[in-house]
Amino acid sequence: MGNKGVRNMFVFGSLLCFVALVVMTFDTFAQLDSRSTKITADVDKGKQVWHKYDCIGCHTIFGNGSYFAPDMTKITDKLPKSYLKKYLVNPRKVNASAAMPVLGITDDEAEKLFVFLEWISKVDTNGWPPKPIMSKGSSSAAVYEKYSCSSCHLINGIGGTSGPDITHVASRHPEAEWHRKHLDNPSSVVPDSAMPPYAQLTEDEKKQLIEFLVSLK
Amino acid sequence: MKYKSHKIALNFFTFAVLLFLVQVIVGVVAAIQFLKPDFFVFAFNISRTLHINALVVWLLCGLMGATYYVVPEESECELWSIPLAQFQFWATVVAVLGVVVGYIVMGLFPQSNIMIFGTLLLNEGREYIEAPRWADFLIAISAVLFLINNAMTMFKSKKWTGIQGTLLGGMLFLTLMYLPGMFYSSSMVKDQYWWWWVVHLWVEGAWEVIAGALLAFMLMKLTNAPRQALEKWMYIEVALVLFTGILGIGHHYYWIGTPSYWLWVGGIFSSLEPIPLLVMVWDALRITKDTRVNTNKLGLFLATAHAIFNFLGAGLWGVIHTLPSVNKWTHGTQITTAHGHLAFYGAYVLLIIAMVYISVPSMRGVKDYNMSRGYRSFWWQTVSMVMIVFTITGAGMVQTYMERLLGIDYVAVKNDFNSWFWIWRIIFGVTYLIGVLMFVVDYFKIGKEPVTVNAAAAAISESKA
Repeated sequence: MGNKGVRNMFVFGSLLCFVALVVMTFDTFAQLDSRSTKITADVDKGKQVWHKYDCIGCHTIFGNGSYFAPDMTKITDKLPKSYLKKYLVNPRKVNASAAMPVLGITDDEAEKLFVFLEWISKVDTNGWPPKPIMSKGSSSAAVYEKYSCSSCHLINGIGGTSGPDITHVASRHPEAEWHRKHLDNPSSVVPDSAMPPYAQLTEDEKKQLIEFLVSLK
Repeated sequence: MKYKSHKIALNFFTFAVLLFLVQVIVGVVAAIQFLKPDFFVFAFNISRTLHINALVVWLLCGLMGATYYVVPEESECELWSIPLAQFQFWATVVAVLGVVVGYIVMGLFPQSNIMIFGTLLLNEGREYIEAPRWADFLIAISAVLFLINNAMTMFKSKKWTGIQGTLLGGMLFLTLMYLPGMFYSSSMVKDQYWWWWVVHLWVEGAWEVIAGALLAFMLMKLTNAPRQALEKWMYIEVALVLFTGILGIGHHYYWIGTPSYWLWVGGIFSSLEPIPLLVMVWDALRITKDTRVNTNKLGLFLATAHAIFNFLGAGLWGVIHTLPSVNKWTHGTQITTAHGHLAFYGAYVLLIIAMVYISVPSMRGVKDYNMSRGYRSFWWQTVSMVMIVFTITGAGMVQTYMERLLGIDYVAVKNDFNSWFWIWRIIFGVTYLIGVLMFVVDYFKIGKEPVTVNAAAAAISESKA
């Protein structure tokens, strides 16, 4: 191919890719509203407060930003409103060693910022940020530890190999009911299962363990 | 000076070099703030804003300087209007200084970023494009004047070379892609969607096209490789850049609230993004090996180093965490920072430095110049940057494991487990600054010092080493 042919390939091929991007942009925008809750006037005001104080200059949101301070995507799921509002107004009063300076955020601005962050937490982010799979802090994983399930089962390469690998068990069995039956009497759902029934689990423990198992997608 | 127009190129280079120094100084300040947040008169967000904005602006000015050098050379005539170019330069300087003063005022008085006519006065609060709306308009006007002047020069001369056509095409794409960042959306999802059009389609689209054109120009200038073959490979490279890069934008749409098909689109196309960068390395090495005619060894050395570090930083350090299954865990950690540092250094910092060493001697009317300081500056900068990238990659791996897998609190990981990485980053940040200072001194002295026998011999032996 001569130079002219290569040049035309470059120009028209690039334009074609750009058209594909534009088409997907239209499709994406048609779906966006259904992937979160409605944007109220307060959400919008909160977003403006976010920009006013250049919050992105330290924090990240949807994982994008400055990596200097915690991500804000699901912050309202983790921390209570009363704490967040106090912290925003005067972080050093709440925690003397806080890196965040006192920016002069008013009570009203803190309220709007909270509403904005609450909206952010409702956005369907395709499962990001992921749950910490190796966390020992969660009570559901604690039951898994207590009954030494890992002596037979593998999760992400850790555990025994006597039973099946359950790293993605919830992809195969997403329903809680299946797991309940399985724990009560494994062979009722898995014929010839060698796993013993776990009758010794309390109802609470059973609930926590099932919650943990259905999170393994 | 062969063309009077080259005075404009030198002006842009000088401004770029000074902003580069500012960028690295505030970078060291920001690195120290990781350990001591109250270390400086303003908070981290302002030093970080200055660090990345100075970067973008000095690279842009460097690219404009490079274009003002290349277009008269390729067209073999003066610019269409030198006064217009001069006006564009000074208008850019005034706008940039105005924005910088605004950031500093906001750093000292956070309440001063008030809303005027529906936009924020000093800082838009959006990463990389923090410049307020009034400055956006000035930047856009400056870019349009720049485009008109260069395009008219090409029309006037009727010399449609592939290199300057691609260069101008890249600049036009760059200008157009600034526009999606110039409106407000009440949805943060839509906000980030358009924001990535600016950021991604600049650095992984338009800028790489410009880099491809400049690489071809540099190789042609320094060797006796024939133009036709160089331009053919340039077209292949920039075509692959855009075929992979435009839809590669999908790797930014994994987790921001956009539909899940972006996981596939982004995963597939962005995995291919290193390919054109690898072709550029092969191109540079092949031509360097096959051709022997060149007097500017440092220039050729830097052009090749640019191609190699473009591949390592933008390509390799990007592709390691671009697949959704990996990115789910690493997204938003210091791994991204590491990629950002090496990518910008390899793809653009070295590109502009190479262009400086290739164009400035000829613009100052000398053939030989003292190269030893240039080599030393390169090694100080490169070794320091590689070490900075290793330290942040280490911090990112620790962060990914402890925060994302074990569920340990962000601040605990940052303060209790990553301190050593921050300390080493400060140390290598300072050594990087030493390399930049050498470059700044050298920039003002290129072609003005007598070429001593010793210096020339040292340059040759260093290039062999």
